Amino acid sequence: MKLQEYTRSKGNFEECMKCTVCTAYCPVLQVNPLYPGPKQAGPDGERLRLKDPYFFSNTLKYCMNCKRCEVACPSGVNVADLIQAARIKYDKSKPKLRDRILASTDLMGTLTRPVAPIVNAVTGLGITKTVLDATLKIDRHRTFPKYSSPGFEIWLRSHKREQAAFPEQVAYFHGCYVNYNYPQLGKDLVKVLNALGVGVQLLDNEKCCGIAMITNGMSESARKHAVHNVAALQKAVDKGLKVVTTSSTCTFTMRDEYPHLLDVDNSAVKDSLLMATRFIYEKLEKGAKLNFKSDFHKKIAYHTPCHLEKLGWGVFSEKLLKMIPGVEFTMLDSNCCGIAGTYGFKKENYEASQAIGQALFSQIKTVNPDVVACDCETCKWQIEMSTGYTVMNPISILAQALED
Amino acid sequence: MAPNEFDVIIVGGGITGAGTQRDCAMRGLRTLLIERSDIATGATGRNHGLLHSGARYAVNDPESARECIEENMILRRIASHCIDETDGLFITLPEDDLGYQQTFVESCRAAGINAEIIDPDLARKLEPSVNPELIGAVRVPDGSVDPFRLCAANMLDAKIHGGQVRLHTEVTGFIREGDTIKGVHTHNFQTGEDADFYAQVTVIAGGIWGHGIAGLAGVNVGMYPAKGSLLIFAHRINNMVINRCRKPSNADILVPGDTVCVIGTTSTRIPFEECDNVAVTPDEVNLLVTEGAKLAPSIMSTRILRAYAGVRPLVSADNDPTGRNISRGIVCLDHEVRDGVKGLVTITGGKLMTYRLMAEMATDTVCRKLGVEKACETATTPLPGSEERSYEAVAQKIWESPSTAQKAAASRMGTRASRIRTGNRHDEALICECEEVSVGEINAAIDRMDVSSLTDLRRRTRVGMGTCQGEFCACRAAGLLAKAHGCVEKERADIADFLQERWKGNFPIGWGDTLREAEYTQWVYKHVLGL
Amino acid sequence: MKFDSVIIGGGLAGLTAGLKLQSAGKQTAIISTGQSALHFFSGSFESLQEAPEEMKQLFSQAGIRLHYSPGVRLMPLGTFREAALSLEDIDLFPKASFGKKVLIVNLLGYHDFFSSFLAQGLEKEGMECRIRFINLPEMEKLQLSPSEMRAVQIARIMDRIWEKVIQEIRLLLKDEDTVVLPQVFGLQDASVPSRIRQGIPARVVFAGTLPPSVPGIRTQMLLKKRYQLLGGTFLMGDKVDKAHLHEGRVHSVVTQNLDNHYIEAQNFLLASGSYFSKGLSSNPFGISEPVFGLDIDFAAERGNWYSPSFADDQPYMAYGVKTDENLHAIKDGKALENLYVAGAVLGKTRPEFGTAAGMAVRSALAAADNILKASEL
Repeated sequence: MKLQEYTRSKGNFEECMKCTVCTAYCPVLQVNPLYPGPKQAGPDGERLRLKDPYFFSNTLKYCMNCKRCEVACPSGVNVADLIQAARIKYDKSKPKLRDRILASTDLMGTLTRPVAPIVNAVTGLGITKTVLDATLKIDRHRTFPKYSSPGFEIWLRSHKREQAAFPEQVAYFHGCYVNYNYPQLGKDLVKVLNALGVGVQLLDNEKCCGIAMITNGMSESARKHAVHNVAALQKAVDKGLKVVTTSSTCTFTMRDEYPHLLDVDNSAVKDSLLMATRFIYEKLEKGAKLNFKSDFHKKIAYHTPCHLEKLGWGVFSEKLLKMIPGVEFTMLDSNCCGIAGTYGFKKENYEASQAIGQALFSQIKTVNPDVVACDCETCKWQIEMSTGYTVMNPISILAQALED
Repeated sequence: MAPNEFDVIIVGGGITGAGTQRDCAMRGLRTLLIERSDIATGATGRNHGLLHSGARYAVNDPESARECIEENMILRRIASHCIDETDGLFITLPEDDLGYQQTFVESCRAAGINAEIIDPDLARKLEPSVNPELIGAVRVPDGSVDPFRLCAANMLDAKIHGGQVRLHTEVTGFIREGDTIKGVHTHNFQTGEDADFYAQVTVIAGGIWGHGIAGLAGVNVGMYPAKGSLLIFAHRINNMVINRCRKPSNADILVPGDTVCVIGTTSTRIPFEECDNVAVTPDEVNLLVTEGAKLAPSIMSTRILRAYAGVRPLVSADNDPTGRNISRGIVCLDHEVRDGVKGLVTITGGKLMTYRLMAEMATDTVCRKLGVEKACETATTPLPGSEERSYEAVAQKIWESPSTAQKAAASRMGTRASRIRTGNRHDEALICECEEVSVGEINAAIDRMDVSSLTDLRRRTRVGMGTCQGEFCACRAAGLLAKAHGCVEKERADIADFLQERWKGNFPIGWGDTLREAEYTQWVYKHVLGL
Repeated sequence: MKFDSVIIGGGLAGLTAGLKLQSAGKQTAIISTGQSALHFFSGSFESLQEAPEEMKQLFSQAGIRLHYSPGVRLMPLGTFREAALSLEDIDLFPKASFGKKVLIVNLLGYHDFFSSFLAQGLEKEGMECRIRFINLPEMEKLQLSPSEMRAVQIARIMDRIWEKVIQEIRLLLKDEDTVVLPQVFGLQDASVPSRIRQGIPARVVFAGTLPPSVPGIRTQMLLKKRYQLLGGTFLMGDKVDKAHLHEGRVHSVVTQNLDNHYIEAQNFLLASGSYFSKGLSSNPFGISEPVFGLDIDFAAERGNWYSPSFADDQPYMAYGVKTDENLHAIKDGKALENLYVAGAVLGKTRPEFGTAAGMAVRSALAAADNILKASEL
């Protein structure tokens, strides 16, 4: 390289111009004075931490990892990556039992699914919530996602032969939520893709993407999942398959957090891993057709989840929804809903979480849509709990709008 | 004694002057220090900030090497809050002669320096930024020292011991009676006042300017101005000092200091007229980056924060055009003995980190003249702020769970950080976000450390030394200064001076992110704030 | 993805052009690497005299009210600067003296508003000043955070509690004819500044703070909202990495987020800003435009890029992308047929459009005009 042809250090924190724009868009800073803010916690703090890890502050745990600072940054600094990487590197405290439970989304699913009705009944009980609140500091206001039985994987396996009959194939990374809590979304995806002449198959044994482990201080476990998933994705890619997803956070984690935070190389599979909305949009752009119901009418308010905003792929959901005849579309202001995965489940964050989402909730109430569309399952819980409006994944809306 | 009469006047507010004042004051003398600008504005603040182990001099200058290692160990004890005990590496690259390593290590040991040959793999592990192609490595007890902090702490201790300090005051001439110097004529740049001060002994500790000051007394001290240029990178690339294990040359030391690191130096003889205004040339920048990248390759692509140059106060010995073969030894001249001029002493040569020894030698000379017999205690008495061994210990004692800014304050102020504990949340507000300097820390500096401008404040607190180079903190700090000094008009000019001073170090390396930052600063001050 | 026009840069120039094109019925997209320099906007359109009619229209449709009155404005450090066209909450005076007695109100613990500098500046103009601080319990949470007593965070609170501020100031007000307040009002709710004016029985002057600028952010939000309402696609936080050129035309651009999903358009507008926004980039050897590699004239000797005096106009700030008379970008000496340029990336190469914010708007309107004309052909 020529002398100083470009200047970029790990984490590119020196591109920070100290303009403070990130602080203006940080949702946490607006509600929690204990959080030093993305600029202090990120590029400013990094210089001190490089001097001595002693300057690490455990207040970095208040970062929700929503990445809105990165989207806002005019300089392209990976602010949130710097913060999360610092937590991984310097925070030596052991995650609490509560955090380990919240982070183990697939383990919880595997254990509870056979007894789903009982678990649902128990976690739904007021007394259980009070106990969880008091013992594990999981906020009592939260409704635990319901566990579904049987899971999506079992359902899709039972349709393996008919799916294999389609001339074009994709693999589907369904994620914990679709498998354990909401198989219907997976079924909706299968319906839409089948309508495009595409058959759906499972990956060879996917695992939880690991995002909850990353944010709960279990990066070693997350790294194991990442290595496993990249191998599973690689198998599909080797077969010439694209891999689609319906969760913005899983997608973002596997595409960006694996290499940036966990140092897991995903370069051979990254380009093949797509949100289903992008996959479908690209098919339609190339001339594929979907037959929509003629009498479909829905007023839809679209909320861009933080990680989709960071991926920059909200545009595909927006354009797909606008394409459906009979849809009255409103783009909601880009604001965080406050849940940020497991963040809002923690008792200490409940109040902040609700305060963060306030702007979004009140805008939804003003728009008063038939349904809120959103590509993220945790946003769905938060918005449904906080506003009473139904939240649907754009894929499910597409499936509903299709001629049967 | 009249208020303008002293036992000793020290001319020069660099580390040598400050150290001499402290030593004299601790031996019970009435002292006055006169500095025409601010503390540490000459070579004191314009070098690597390297706490030499002495290894660099071991082969060619064993005397300096021995002085270094002795003072190195002393400073670790008495100046803990100014010292970073990083250790250092002397690396051999494939293009260097590995045979030199043996000579080097033997010379180190002969000088009492603990030099240990380590496996290149271990070197790579200890210091991940080091050039991975190294074929040999020696570990030595190098470190880094913050010259501003060290200078301020010495001056503060002198004041605690009754010393007086007049900054921004120039010595315009000597008061002479026959062959005896009785005092100095001075001019204060800030008040415009001229004043005379009297003392039995005057010590010239003016670095390269000592030549001119001595000239005012009709005494010739032959000096040899050698400019050295250095670059500051925007963050710490390395956490250990990295040197080349070969004959000393250009750009072969990379020193981590506080939140940054510094590569240097070059060496060019310059005329005395240029000493007040040295500039870094593009060729020097290119040389520093290219050679520096051999120590740590990431220098090639790390943002450079500033370029600066200092002038080494070398005492002429021979006509070597590079200035490298001169002993950096200490020169203490009793002009009564040397030139027949009574009451005048010059202390010069030496290094930042041998300042204490220089001060001791100068003070011994002064005491001999004054018949004072008290022994020197500066080697054992900690400087104010250095009563604890580490900033962790300091912070833990003051705050229950210290914030990053409080930890940073403890690392800069040492035990004096307890002064900023007020329980008032407004004092915790950050003025400088890059370096995490709070209102409380700035007010503590204004209260106790002779701050008259933003640039002075920077030397005492690191305000404006971070990556934004004062973009946001300059006017915030100016607000505090205006309040403390009750003069707004002056502060507006002060902001402009401060920005100009920052720009001076920025434009020689004005590209990439540094240029972006400069553009943004222009924008904020000219278009948004209306300076 | 296909559009009629794609605009690279979501600042004042990009949004102005986007609004004009979208209003003319074109389908456009704006690609913006993060938030723009509007976040540091002083509120005055330097070098713009009376606003062009279409600018007034586009801005008022977005809910941004401008006013034109040649004179001076009060700057945050207590100086006065000539100004003519400004956002509504920036006061313009015929001359530097605008009152007899002035009450300057700051918030306790707020260091980004320079009350003592303002007072000294106003006193120099013969005004009598009194500085007072107000402390509201709602501010306590912010004061707890050492780095967050900043304009935007305060403004967020002020949007809720401006009525209390009016009450506090009414209590403080004695016989002053003017009250000077920091520009921390009207972030989400643009009506707050005028409500404050109505509520205080004296002339109210808002003086700027350290960035980010509250009026600037509000302007950005309103322009963007209007643009999206008109159906424009705003890709926030994405960066154009490179472009596909074919026979003197831009075919498509490649962005960081959409990688192999190219964005195609009939016309492209480069409004990527100056160095700060990375519209221009520099290294020790030269100055370049990073997306298309467009032509830029700059001094060969690096030393000539700068003036050693910070106060001087800096030569590097004049460098910009070369264009033809229709604002077509020039690459390797030839104009690219469907690539236009507007805003700060032009440097000072097109003085006829003025400087700073005024230049951004005027060059953007001109470029959009040329795009519309070209698409009619």
